[in-house]
Amino acid sequence: MKFSIDDLPIVFPYDRIYPEQYAYMCDLKRALDATGHCVLEMPSGTGKTVSLLSLIVSYQQFYPTRRKLIYCSRTVPEIEKALAELKRLMAYRVECAETEEAKAKERSFMGLGLTSRKNLCIHPEVSKEKKGKVVDARCRDLTNSATCEKGRADPGSVDLCDWHETLGQMEPGSLVPPGIWTLADVLQYGRDHGTCPYFTVRRMMPFVDVIIYSFHYLLDPKVAEQVSKELSKDAIVVFDEAHNIDNVCIESLSIDLTRPMLDAAGRSIVKLGDKVDEIKTTNSTKLLDEYAKLVNGLRDPSEDDPEDTFMSNPLLPDDLLNEAVPGNIRKAEHFVAFLKRFVEYLKTRMRVLHVVAETPLSFLQHLKDITYIERRPLRFCAERLQSLIRTLELNRLDEYSALQKVASFATLVSTYEKGFLLILEPFETDNASVPNPVFHFTYSFRFLSYCIPSLKVDNSCLDPSLAIQPVFERFSSVVITSGTISPLDMYPKMLQFTPVVQETYPMTLTRNAFLPLVITRGSDQVAISSRFEVRNDPAVVRNFGSILVEYSKIVPDGIVAFFPSYLYMESIVAAWNDMGILNEVWKNKLIFVETPDANETSIALENYRRACDNGRGAVLLSVARGKVSEGIDFDHNYGRAVIMFGVPYQYTESRILKARLEYLRDAYRIRESEFLGFDAMRNAAQCVGRVLRGKTDWGLMVFADKRFARADKRAKLPRWINQYITETASNLSTDMALTLSKLFMRGISQNPEENQTGVSLWTLDDVLKAQAKQKALALEAKEAEEEDEYGNGDITDQMLIDLDI
Amino acid sequence: MPTTVLTAKTSYKKIPGSLELNDTHLQWSQDGKGPSVRIAHSEVAGLFSSKEGAAQVRLKVALVGDDTGHTFAFTSPKASNEREKFKAELTVIMSRNRAASVAAARAPVTPAATPPVTKPVVAAPRPPLLSQTPSGSRAVSVSASEQRNVTIIPGNDPATDVRLRKTILMSDPELGALHRELVAMSGQLTEAEFWEGREHLLLSLAASENQAKGKPGQMVDPRPETVDGDTKYVMTPQMIHGIFDEYPVVAKAHRENVPSKLSESEFWTRYFKSKLYHQHRASIRSTAAQHVVQDDPILDKYLEKIDDDLEPRRQRNEHVELFVDLGATLEDHVETGNEKDVTMIAGRQRGALPLIRKFNEHSERLLNSALGEISAPKRQKLNDEDYGQIDLDDLHDSESSSGIVLEMQDRQRYFEGGISNSAPEAAQKPLDVKTLIRHAKVNIDNWQTNLTQLKIEKQAGDTALLSMTKNVAARLDVKSRKNDLPDALFRQMTICQTATNEFLRQFWSSMYPPAAEVQVVAVATPAQRAAKAAKMIGYLSKTQEKVDALVYMGPQHNVDPTRIEIAMKPVLNAARRAIEFHQTKTTNTKPGPPPRG
Repeated sequence: MKFSIDDLPIVFPYDRIYPEQYAYMCDLKRALDATGHCVLEMPSGTGKTVSLLSLIVSYQQFYPTRRKLIYCSRTVPEIEKALAELKRLMAYRVECAETEEAKAKERSFMGLGLTSRKNLCIHPEVSKEKKGKVVDARCRDLTNSATCEKGRADPGSVDLCDWHETLGQMEPGSLVPPGIWTLADVLQYGRDHGTCPYFTVRRMMPFVDVIIYSFHYLLDPKVAEQVSKELSKDAIVVFDEAHNIDNVCIESLSIDLTRPMLDAAGRSIVKLGDKVDEIKTTNSTKLLDEYAKLVNGLRDPSEDDPEDTFMSNPLLPDDLLNEAVPGNIRKAEHFVAFLKRFVEYLKTRMRVLHVVAETPLSFLQHLKDITYIERRPLRFCAERLQSLIRTLELNRLDEYSALQKVASFATLVSTYEKGFLLILEPFETDNASVPNPVFHFTYSFRFLSYCIPSLKVDNSCLDPSLAIQPVFERFSSVVITSGTISPLDMYPKMLQFTPVVQETYPMTLTRNAFLPLVITRGSDQVAISSRFEVRNDPAVVRNFGSILVEYSKIVPDGIVAFFPSYLYMESIVAAWNDMGILNEVWKNKLIFVETPDANETSIALENYRRACDNGRGAVLLSVARGKVSEGIDFDHNYGRAVIMFGVPYQYTESRILKARLEYLRDAYRIRESEFLGFDAMRNAAQCVGRVLRGKTDWGLMVFADKRFARADKRAKLPRWINQYITETASNLSTDMALTLSKLFMRGISQNPEENQTGVSLWTLDDVLKAQAKQKALALEAKEAEEEDEYGNGDITDQMLIDLDI
Repeated sequence: MPTTVLTAKTSYKKIPGSLELNDTHLQWSQDGKGPSVRIAHSEVAGLFSSKEGAAQVRLKVALVGDDTGHTFAFTSPKASNEREKFKAELTVIMSRNRAASVAAARAPVTPAATPPVTKPVVAAPRPPLLSQTPSGSRAVSVSASEQRNVTIIPGNDPATDVRLRKTILMSDPELGALHRELVAMSGQLTEAEFWEGREHLLLSLAASENQAKGKPGQMVDPRPETVDGDTKYVMTPQMIHGIFDEYPVVAKAHRENVPSKLSESEFWTRYFKSKLYHQHRASIRSTAAQHVVQDDPILDKYLEKIDDDLEPRRQRNEHVELFVDLGATLEDHVETGNEKDVTMIAGRQRGALPLIRKFNEHSERLLNSALGEISAPKRQKLNDEDYGQIDLDDLHDSESSSGIVLEMQDRQRYFEGGISNSAPEAAQKPLDVKTLIRHAKVNIDNWQTNLTQLKIEKQAGDTALLSMTKNVAARLDVKSRKNDLPDALFRQMTICQTATNEFLRQFWSSMYPPAAEVQVVAVATPAQRAAKAAKMIGYLSKTQEKVDALVYMGPQHNVDPTRIEIAMKPVLNAARRAIEFHQTKTTNTKPGPPPRG
């Protein structure tokens, strides 16, 4: 379908369009035109991604500037889906293009997706490694510039990666033919042509029109430094499924250190020292060269190969990087001794048996008092370590990962202060007796502020209120969008930006495609709740169980059940089994459960889907905020019912959470309970929202907890869900809910007789009609305005007054 | 010495013993004693069995002239299985007895609960007794997955075919009665003739029987029953099979130890006491039961490390489809942030992990048993159709789908003809509005007087009302008198009618053989068909006599003979038509291909 919004011609790869998709595209265009940021909430499953891509690609292709699109999603499956969507869109555009010239233009459009080496490696041995860290390290050993030089000068002396070498011989900028390449496509192309998929994508990044990767590649300074720094300012940045974006930001600047980590770091330092001594005797010029370089400043852009960087400074302002490294860590042996001292200090701190919470400032002060380590050299720690490792040409960097973490910690702790907190927890839980100390360095909210490394931060002033130059300022258009970002104003408040467009769309439906139900009590009238005090009460456990059993009897195909935490899921699964509840479920459906291992869970998921396709039906037990709840869709037969057992609150006893809440309260006047409620409901909404895809799909959404009945809780659900919770459906017992569900399913399984076209589906005509109407309205408003002016302009008050005189 | 065909542990009058079937007798003997019940094959007259799934598996054998018979309860773990075998054998024997007594004019009054005793005279040689497949109990269908591929074509395997027919006749009493009437008693139709045209019944039954019943979803979890303080585990063959399936290590232990070192029951007793069992129990409380567990030198060798690490013991390396690959997300970037709080760390409840893994594995095994494993190449790459997952199908234009084009001969003529027929002048001539209005005005000029002068003929209304009343009265009459035919006469009339219908069906199907959709039975040659038609006409021509007889019987039952006549009239008409048709057919020298509608 082709139509135009204002003067921008849009190609939409379907024959029809949902009204909300049209509205979404209009608002998005408004935001892009104004080169401002926007927050858009659109109901899950109404084709958000396709509308977004369709509009932005049309925008890119129409205007000569061709702003690059940086599309961030949360998970690899979502990245792959977005790429597939883009691929289809471009195929459709090529088909629709009228002239050969236009077709060629569409064909030359490039889109790629980036993920880790682990996911993109095709080297027969390296790719077999289980841990991404090891893959990274081994890959670097085979591909770093020093090794390559050596290998090319003297073939056979060192192992090189053939795939990387083949790629090196190709012309940069045309490593793959133009077009859209999904991750699977890139892998296949690499296998067919003997080229490395990972470096193909990395090196093609400056040349592509669309790059799709996960949030971390833009938000985590350690990664962003390597992959995203070349992106130009006028790029359009999209954060899809952005409801958890605050967590990603917080995570990217928080770090944990544990005892075993410090031990490993200590061992690495010893190794490092040995190596330095060895080099000193064999090749001391190398160290001298490095020293000279460090005097001149950390960075020499001419020889800095971004692909070689294995770890980077979490974030240092540019001018700091050009500054000389402090004298006391310039010499390799001095730096090694410096690190040793720092690690020893941390180890001593960990011997304490009570909880300590302190600000970075007081930590630094104490550090200085005890060890005479100053703040300045500490800030260069990460960068200095990188330089040293490169000089020493170390292999198997994964063995040094603990040390790298300590160095990052040092840099972070000495660079930031406001909004950060150090927490030392000697025991994992309150009643644990064996100390398992963890040093949390946690960041509490002003995220996005330091996210992009190359932004300028005045190094003398570390006051965030002055220094905040968020990602929003680096990129002119940032789009934050998701199915569940209610309440909308929470996000700009937390993210500290002003959106030009902020919109939520209702779901237009000709019939209710989903039925949200709130079950507050079991058939025996005992209230159900996942509240800590009652959650293990046998009556509650049994009532939760009977909800699952009853729904497994009446719902076809797949049922997904979410629990508030892993701990609760694991204990309740065991309890249900012993109560014989699961035996009842086995009679009707197969059972799959999320496990700690990702691959194991993936296989379970795949089997779950097979069981749903086959008609056998299955139940999937998983955890809100867990691995499955992020990025896996349960549309159509994969999820005819979602049951949310309990309210997915965060664990309020967590010290980190407490600190964060305190900070929120002090800095932003967001009440603890308000934030916790908001956070729980957005996660619940996220879970139940995954059942719908398209308007012919249908599903039940069961909220099983008496606390969901409270109006203030429900008000935090996205509007498109909340508006369908009727008064009767907000306080049900299990048997009542079952009756309603049966009734709903009987109705929804009928073929929809009424035509959705025109109401919840628009044809091209409908779009044009809506546009005409809009234009008329706009014209009217304008005329009204003009009339006003005219009326006022004729005889002003002043004139009347004058007349009186 | 008679050869024993079957034996089974049964109790008779609550005394345990064994039931034995040899080639002359069915006999039961108390344990350790000689046979106390002995029934010759020829004496077996009927079989009754308790319902599938009833608490006790019983079989009652009725004797000729003795309806009380003997009741045996099967006691072994494979009770229902064994009972089926006995039933199958005895049915054959019984039907043989029945066939011998078919000559008797009167049909035996069959009690409702008896399995159908009608037995067709099958020309094919009877296969040896044991070749009969016992009707599918679950254990059989589970273990015999190879059965799935055997397509039973009715007519090819007489034994199966017979069983299928029996089942159909049993489940449809009317069809059973008809069969009894025409085939078993009067012999007017042969068995084959009767089933001709009804193959679909056999086929669908065969299909539904052959549909492999999947494994039941429940996990084997033998739970102890406490009887007088003793804990007792009741094991069935299915459970043992399930345990072996679920825990290959138990199968291994069983294989290596059972006949040589331990007896079957010893093995299981030890197993339930062993650590092995407690490790395998699908329960988290097994840890609490640790102290009651005894060391077992034999079975402890098979102990495995408990699978409660964060990573599964059995690493799976297959690549999953990218759309569900959680591992890819995990490895997409370096882990960042603080560690999750206690409640959100997966696998903290270590005891639950083996359980959870077992659930996933069990579900997967069930799926694989039904669908086969996922092939590796399918996993490797996403097919184009997998991208269908991202498609929003309701956004596609449904109208754009190409419908079925109506192929019409002489389309042009059709459309033109339509136009020419529909008053072309009227359609073409433009209407003059003014004259129309004028006409209308004139028409309504005197409407008031016209209305007062309007007079409706009274008689027409009266007649209409009268006819309606009559109609209602007639219907009421019919309704009230509907069931006043005496039962016996009514039954006879029904029999007459269904029999005639059957003959008609046979006749017409031989005149117009059905299209070759049901390609089961070899199509009869024209000559055969003609012969059959002639035979059917022979039967049909007797219809008049039969009806006359019924009409004649009317007064005896105080029924107006005309009513019987009217009731039977359609049947007679149909028969007459068939006869006339046949006459015209046969008078034509050449039959030629039958005209097709």
